[in-house]
Amino acid sequence: MTIRPLFAALAVVALAGCAADPAPNEQIRLTQQALEQASAVGASADDSPELKLAEDKFARAKADMADESYKHARMRAEQAELDARLAEAKILTQKSQEQLSVLNTRITRLRKQLQLGEAQ
Amino acid sequence: MSPMIRGLSCVVLLGSAALGGCASQPNSEQALQQAGTDFQKVKEDANVLRFAPKDVIRAGESLARADRLSSYWGSGADVVHYAYLSQRYSAIAREHTEQGLNAERGTKLELERQRLQLALRENKLASVQQQGKWLEEQIASLTTTQTDRGLVMTLGDVLFDTGEAQLENSANRTVLKIVQFLQLNPKRVVRIEGYTDNTGGEQENLKLSRDRAQSVADVLMDLGIDEKRIQVEGYGDQYPVEANASERGRAQNRRVEIVFSDEKGQLGAAR
Repeated sequence: MTIRPLFAALAVVALAGCAADPAPNEQIRLTQQALEQASAVGASADDSPELKLAEDKFARAKADMADESYKHARMRAEQAELDARLAEAKILTQKSQEQLSVLNTRITRLRKQLQLGEAQ
Repeated sequence: MSPMIRGLSCVVLLGSAALGGCASQPNSEQALQQAGTDFQKVKEDANVLRFAPKDVIRAGESLARADRLSSYWGSGADVVHYAYLSQRYSAIAREHTEQGLNAERGTKLELERQRLQLALRENKLASVQQQGKWLEEQIASLTTTQTDRGLVMTLGDVLFDTGEAQLENSANRTVLKIVQFLQLNPKRVVRIEGYTDNTGGEQENLKLSRDRAQSVADVLMDLGIDEKRIQVEGYGDQYPVEANASERGRAQNRRVEIVFSDEKGQLGAAR
């Protein structure tokens, strides 16, 4: 009874090192999905360092899965998922930026035409 | 549990936490700090909170996890991992915020674009209407007369060879102006009336007058005026404008008259 907190503390420290992780199948699926989504919006590993990272980490995660090194597999897959999501978000930001420039160009052109019209 | 023992276990816990801190690789400390800085920045940004609250929450959760793990011994890799995830969530939050702001900017710009487009259209319309008025004046000056039949324009016989229905090239300018006028006034219709002098037989003259009117109508149609907007009549030697006694008078009676409807397309009754 009196000694239990001490054991508990020790157990936590010990567990942190060598907990047996289950196979992160769900995470692998999520990561796969995130990668596909990033590609779907037009991200490519050549232009997006984040997507390159994601693909590399995912490949290693799958290798870890094969080795039954599940903790590493999970961590790499988790990172790869967020790398892919960031890659996707960056592409979408870039696209929204491009839309703004198109709009701005059109507005400039309209203004110019209106000025011409008034000058006539 | 005695207070003494509880105190002791606390000391042990703190000790292990301190050990954990010491034992963790220096880069885990750094990663934690960096993730903390990033999180602080997004957390304090009102726009981020508006557009990407979920990402901010996840960044905070991962950071808290990294922070908690950093107090355990031998958890350096996990700290780095969760700090990394936290940083990624912060970065994603920033991107989502930028997208949200861009969408807002886009909506404003789109409204501005529509407003300008409308203004430009009105501008052009006004200038075309002005031009229309100008053309109307031009046509009025082209020997048109406002009669009880409406606006009437006369094409004199110089535009036709004697006995011929074919329109001369010299009529092109006049015809083009009529076409332009009709295109600018899409509701107006015309009646083209042919007339001759009193030389020649009655049937012959009726046919010639009609053919002349028709050849003017053909040119108008060729230049894009809808057939439905054009009526053709031949009156032969009826309704002379001058006495047929002199050559000058007969020349004036050989003519094609173009009767314009009003703006609504109402044409005066045929003779």
